[in-house]
Amino acid sequence: MSLLRLVDLSTDIALRRGAVHALDHVNLEVRQGETLGVVGESGSGKTMTVLSVMGLLPPGGRVVGGQILFDGRDLLAMKPEELRRVRGVEMGMVFQDPLTSLNPTMRIGAQVAEPLRVHQGVGKAEARERAIEILRRVGMPRPEKIVDDYPHQLSGGMRQRVVIAMALIRSPRLLIADEPTTALDVTTQRQILELIDDLREEFKMAVILVTHDLGVIASRADRVAVMYAGRVVETATTEELFRAPRHRYTEALMHALPESAQGKLYSIPGLPPDLSRPLTGCRFAPRCRHATDACRTTDVQLVQAAEEHLYACLHPVTEPVAFAPRGAGEPREAAGSGTILSVRELVKEYDAGGKGRVSAVAGVSFEVKAGETLGIVGESGCGKSTVGRLVAGLEEPTGGQIVLDGTDIAGLDRRARRRMHREVQLMFQDSYAAMNPRMRIDGILTEPLEIQRVGDQAARRARVTRLLDQVGLPARALERYPHEFSGGQLQRIGLARSLALEPRLIVADEPVSALDVSIQAQVLNLMRDLQSELGLSYVFISHDLSVVDYMADRIAVMYLGKLVEIGPASQVVRAARHPYTQALIDAVPSPDPGHAPSPATAIRGELPSALNPPTGCRFRTRCPLAQEICATEPPLQGGPHQVACHFPLRPEAAVSAGAAPAGAG
Amino acid sequence: MARYLLTRLGQALVIVVLVTLITFVILHFLPGGAARAILGKEATLEQIAAFNHEMGYDRPLWEQYALYLQRLVHGDLGYSFQLNQSVAEAISQRLPKTMLLSLASTALAVVVAIPLGVVQAVRRNKWPDYTINALSLLAYATPIFFMGLMMIILFSQVWPVLPPEAPQGFTLGEVLADPAGLVLPTVTLAVLTVAVYSRYVRSSMVDNLNENYVRTARSKGLSEGRVIVGHTLRNGLFPVITLLGMYLPALFSGALVVERLFNYPGMGLLFWQSALKRDYPILLGVTLLISVATVLGALVADILYAAVDPRVRLKASRS
Ligand code: SF4
Ligand code: SF4
Repeated sequence: MSLLRLVDLSTDIALRRGAVHALDHVNLEVRQGETLGVVGESGSGKTMTVLSVMGLLPPGGRVVGGQILFDGRDLLAMKPEELRRVRGVEMGMVFQDPLTSLNPTMRIGAQVAEPLRVHQGVGKAEARERAIEILRRVGMPRPEKIVDDYPHQLSGGMRQRVVIAMALIRSPRLLIADEPTTALDVTTQRQILELIDDLREEFKMAVILVTHDLGVIASRADRVAVMYAGRVVETATTEELFRAPRHRYTEALMHALPESAQGKLYSIPGLPPDLSRPLTGCRFAPRCRHATDACRTTDVQLVQAAEEHLYACLHPVTEPVAFAPRGAGEPREAAGSGTILSVRELVKEYDAGGKGRVSAVAGVSFEVKAGETLGIVGESGCGKSTVGRLVAGLEEPTGGQIVLDGTDIAGLDRRARRRMHREVQLMFQDSYAAMNPRMRIDGILTEPLEIQRVGDQAARRARVTRLLDQVGLPARALERYPHEFSGGQLQRIGLARSLALEPRLIVADEPVSALDVSIQAQVLNLMRDLQSELGLSYVFISHDLSVVDYMADRIAVMYLGKLVEIGPASQVVRAARHPYTQALIDAVPSPDPGHAPSPATAIRGELPSALNPPTGCRFRTRCPLAQEICATEPPLQGGPHQVACHFPLRPEAAVSAGAAPAGAG
Repeated sequence: MARYLLTRLGQALVIVVLVTLITFVILHFLPGGAARAILGKEATLEQIAAFNHEMGYDRPLWEQYALYLQRLVHGDLGYSFQLNQSVAEAISQRLPKTMLLSLASTALAVVVAIPLGVVQAVRRNKWPDYTINALSLLAYATPIFFMGLMMIILFSQVWPVLPPEAPQGFTLGEVLADPAGLVLPTVTLAVLTVAVYSRYVRSSMVDNLNENYVRTARSKGLSEGRVIVGHTLRNGLFPVITLLGMYLPALFSGALVVERLFNYPGMGLLFWQSALKRDYPILLGVTLLISVATVLGALVADILYAAVDPRVRLKASRS
């Protein structure tokens, strides 16, 4: 029986430049006790759909047509007080960014119990008891203490638990989770998703899980709705959707995932349409490789493929989409042999104002060969970005050596350091923030050339035009300002800028983390093309193992300032030797619905503080295999595939890398 | 927390010392030196030499500064020959009255400005916002002198309900005995403050209303009033506390004009009269006092901020 039904729901957002038709006749259904996954890229309308249901549309947003039937009653026809009660008591919502979704100056307990106090008139003491009880239920350690804490005293994962507790304290019948784990690390993501799953059964709720991540959907949802440009383009049971998607957009999304890369990643060209303009025909047509004239002119309606399967496509997919076992793409040819970067015993500590020192990077050593990509993975706080900044010369190491092309840059004076910047460039996650918003693109791109006094004006001009061409942007982009570009285009510009001085090494810090899957594929492919064209080396830093797996020749795994494992990419991902690496791998939700992570590798608890980190093996406070000996520090040892663990999960594989079984079991 | 207080106190102390250094330098470089400034234009060379020797003005600079500081510490701000009274005494007679005026007008301003700012933020870009905005701009742009005149014309001539002059008492008690006379000066001084504060409250509230936590609060099905009063207001008002501390100099310059206009016997009037008579000891004494008060005001505001905002409070107590 359906709990929530959206009938022809249309929502507009009034902006200064006109109305954006964010939702266009959306029809959806959520049944009691099930999880409906809503997937799509930014601008697809997935978030607007749930915000319309919750009445939380941004300023200017308004439902302009259709019905929202909750338990058979139309929310849009209710009186305000009644509506508030229904939304406040029978529905609960979990938001994307746990760091900002709590009131910073209100105690946790008061925030969690507020719905009870307001809607059920529960007294203060009882509200506090109930808050403690629900906090305990969502896995909060020491809830009696935490009720009286303030949000900033908790980590991101803990705050998300608080938000969930807040939604659950009313025992809602519908829980809406909008990208609940996007801002969290994978191991925390796994804990939170498992929690939501458990609670759904316990509270017999229905769940709407909104996400951009097909992997999250595959492992958690019963049914899926795929949205594109304000419309639902396909709905099916999860199993059916991943086995036999029909819509060409769904197919393209799946092909754009690094996990499904067979050799080169499929990238969807172009950008989603502007929803403030009138649109005719299939909205995906300009980006679809199967589009015909009929697609561009007919208003394509949803049709039924099977009982539970609807799609809106004129030339549907007929062959099933195969998910390759993770990253089984052909091993990339060995890179050149010359070492360009060699990092030895790198140490970086920060002063923590009289409380001791924060050990951000603790004795990290690795090498990068010419033309090679070294991936560095790890969760937030592991020190991977610090390593990147040290290598790029933005910070000075506390100890150790960074040997670039034979010279140790740690000991350079400013002049020499500036020259060194020609050789190493940094590419950021948020290129926009790293650009002067009042400067045109030509200015942004010529700036490094001017600083290093390269060529005359004409030569610089020519160089900049060529750079833009290399990153696939038209020359007229030169006269525009950064804010006129989309996220993917900005990353291209950021890449162009880091290429301006013809460096030999680019340190890319989370370069695609803020991008949608289809755009991410474009940027990743571009980076790989440029690498083979220009013989670049990359240090590719990311929290996303599948992206690193796609990009890197070798992978280094960091945990709390230490390098715990390093080796050829295929071996690290398919035959991990360190328990932490294995936990990371298993925490990544796989887009293959048949893949179930084993509970044995789940790591519990929170990342310890880098201020006074654990002695010995830094992972031992969370490691399922920890023994007494782990109190002494394990050295990094092995051949090409090194691990720092007293009890490696497996011996080093024979040199013939390749078809090792996926995962540990 | 103790640590935080200590560092903040240390900073304040450094600034105060700097201020004394500046007033000292000004005193030193006055045309004809301090002696002429103090003794007046007609003083003879002998008188000046004698004065300089007596005050230690013929000694090395650093020694003079040390002496100056020493005198300051003992509450000796100098002597006004024109008033025939020590500066400290002149100030202490008038200070309480100016404080009364400032406090009353600030309290009035805060009480009016907060609701105005909140209404503006909630009805952003609708007519209440535009109306209040226009009015506060007007208040902002009107010279305070002119505003005071208008008040006098309106409320004691066109519609004579209030006296045009402030109470003329010597002590605080005498001033307080005539509350009707205090109304116009207080209101005049408050108008500008209201304009400044309401704009501040508005922008702070607008920022807060756009925060994600407000959306979370709404998702609990709270009424709009509860969202604003229970969640946003508290966070929105923190910055106003800091403003209170920083606003002191502006408040004093306002008091200067208002006291002159209503002939209110406070520090502002004293400063005004001294400026006309070039009574430098008084001018510098008052300046020093206002500067120190500003530093202290900022300090108190910061401490207050730390005491009410858990983010600052806990961070401070941990370090
Ligand atoms: S209707 Fe046509 S353009 Fe649209 S997705 Fe299907 S094939 Fe592509
Ligand atoms: S050294 Fe010990 S604690 Fe560390 S990862 Fe290996 S088994 Fe776990």
